[in-house]
Amino acid sequence: MSRRLSVTLLTAPALIVLLGVFVIPMLLMLLLSFQDAQQAFSLENYALFFQDTFYLEILWRTIRVSLWTVLATLLLGYPVAMFMAQATGKMRGIVTMCILAPHLISVVIRNFGWVVVLGEKGWINETLIALGMIETPLRLLYNELGVVIGLTDSFIAYMVLALATSLYSIDPSLNKAASILGASRARTFFSVTLPLSLPGIVAGTTLVFSLSMSAFVTPALMGGTSVKVIPVLAYEQIMSTLNWPLGAALAFLLLGSTIVLVSLYTKLIENKRYKEVFAS
Amino acid sequence: MKKINVLGLITFIIIILVNLPFLVIIPSSFTAAGYLAFPPEGFSWKWYSMILDRPEFIDSFWTSIKLATLSAILATVLGTLAAFALSKYKFRGSGFINALMLSPLTVPSLIIGISALLFFTRIGIAGTFTGLLLAHILISIPYVVRLVLTGLSSFDYTLEKAGYMLGAHPFRVFWDITLPLVRPAIASGMIFSFLTSFDNVTVSLFLVAPDTTTLPLAIFSYMQETLDPLVASISSVVILLSLVFIILLEKVYGLERLFGLNSQSH
Repeated sequence: MSRRLSVTLLTAPALIVLLGVFVIPMLLMLLLSFQDAQQAFSLENYALFFQDTFYLEILWRTIRVSLWTVLATLLLGYPVAMFMAQATGKMRGIVTMCILAPHLISVVIRNFGWVVVLGEKGWINETLIALGMIETPLRLLYNELGVVIGLTDSFIAYMVLALATSLYSIDPSLNKAASILGASRARTFFSVTLPLSLPGIVAGTTLVFSLSMSAFVTPALMGGTSVKVIPVLAYEQIMSTLNWPLGAALAFLLLGSTIVLVSLYTKLIENKRYKEVFAS
Repeated sequence: MKKINVLGLITFIIIILVNLPFLVIIPSSFTAAGYLAFPPEGFSWKWYSMILDRPEFIDSFWTSIKLATLSAILATVLGTLAAFALSKYKFRGSGFINALMLSPLTVPSLIIGISALLFFTRIGIAGTFTGLLLAHILISIPYVVRLVLTGLSSFDYTLEKAGYMLGAHPFRVFWDITLPLVRPAIASGMIFSFLTSFDNVTVSLFLVAPDTTTLPLAIFSYMQETLDPLVASISSVVILLSLVFIILLEKVYGLERLFGLNSQSH
């Protein structure tokens, strides 16, 4: 059998699925997003987004919630990744398992668990009321805080993975060298570990930001009707209002703004590093 | 030493937090009360027997199992074949095809779901099991391709050559030499695909009809209307089932390796 024939036969089945379920549908969706009600070419779906502050406000809320999630996953994930990098053998395996395994269980179920914990009659509120620390239940759910908690739980595994990958590659003798030269633990962390883990931080924050921007389930379940984000809005346009062109345009605008923000961010970091290297 | 302890303590707390949903759901599924409560009140199996009275959960459970099994098998076959071609032959455009195979990972599920709905409506398979299955195969292929490619990256193709030279049929060479060496990667690709399909909500959301609803979607819809211990009991069943597959994955391949963490780094 010729090489060419083998390659074709082996890749064709997967390529057919990719073309038929991914590439062609995406092109169709892009085309549709440029259609008006009369099915003529039009930019009105995109123009609407920039003319009406309603949409811009929702975009800003989506970005805000995503940024808080990035911050929370970074602050909580960094110590875990550091611990994993310092741990050896069995311990590292156990911690990895305990962080990654929950990630493989449905997000609907994890969100449900948080609803039981954070709800008005949830565990936290009932406990605090029973202890007499508060009188009226705290609002921990169906607001932006609830969504950020849910998203942080959903995506912290990605952050830990990205950070751990870059922390594992740091030569431990560098820490030793720093401490022999008299640097304190804090100094070693800020001058050695943190700068060297920057690639992991960039990878983790970028990934968590992109995932949070397009998250649908958690904002729907833990944000309720009060925290509308772009994915929820796009879903409503597609499934309830049945304005498919607008729904498609919203989804692409979301993707577009995520790409723009992420590339601005990585550019900014690269420039900063460039200056740092050449200024010293 | 002290530093490790502080980090260890923080890590321990975060491990508790990411597992808190399960630590809360499972006990509250055994409550004897008529409402959702944690800590649970009393002990009873009644919320489990009540699942059996809800056809929407039973039916969607079987739909999910059927869907996850079929999409895992098909995605594994398609992804493995493609990965073999990409690893064995350096051909023009192989870089492009490789990128294309992984590309569904880089596009938000929301867009995959919406675009599939638009296209499937045109060709008349929106809301059918076939449409749902195709979409689930699509989202699983990248994982299989990536895992099998990793498994094959250390494969020595002279072994295959040796097989041919000794007169073995190509199929025999594949079955007896190539396959056993990448079996862990393929098996983990299949288990991971099963879990990917079994957990998926965002893509399914756009593609199900009332009679093809999947279990996570049934729970999702139910949760938006009612929050009662029934959600806890059905969730516990899913947690337990997922746990079986996670343990299998750990045994077959190892979660660290699956997520690209090299445990032999230092």
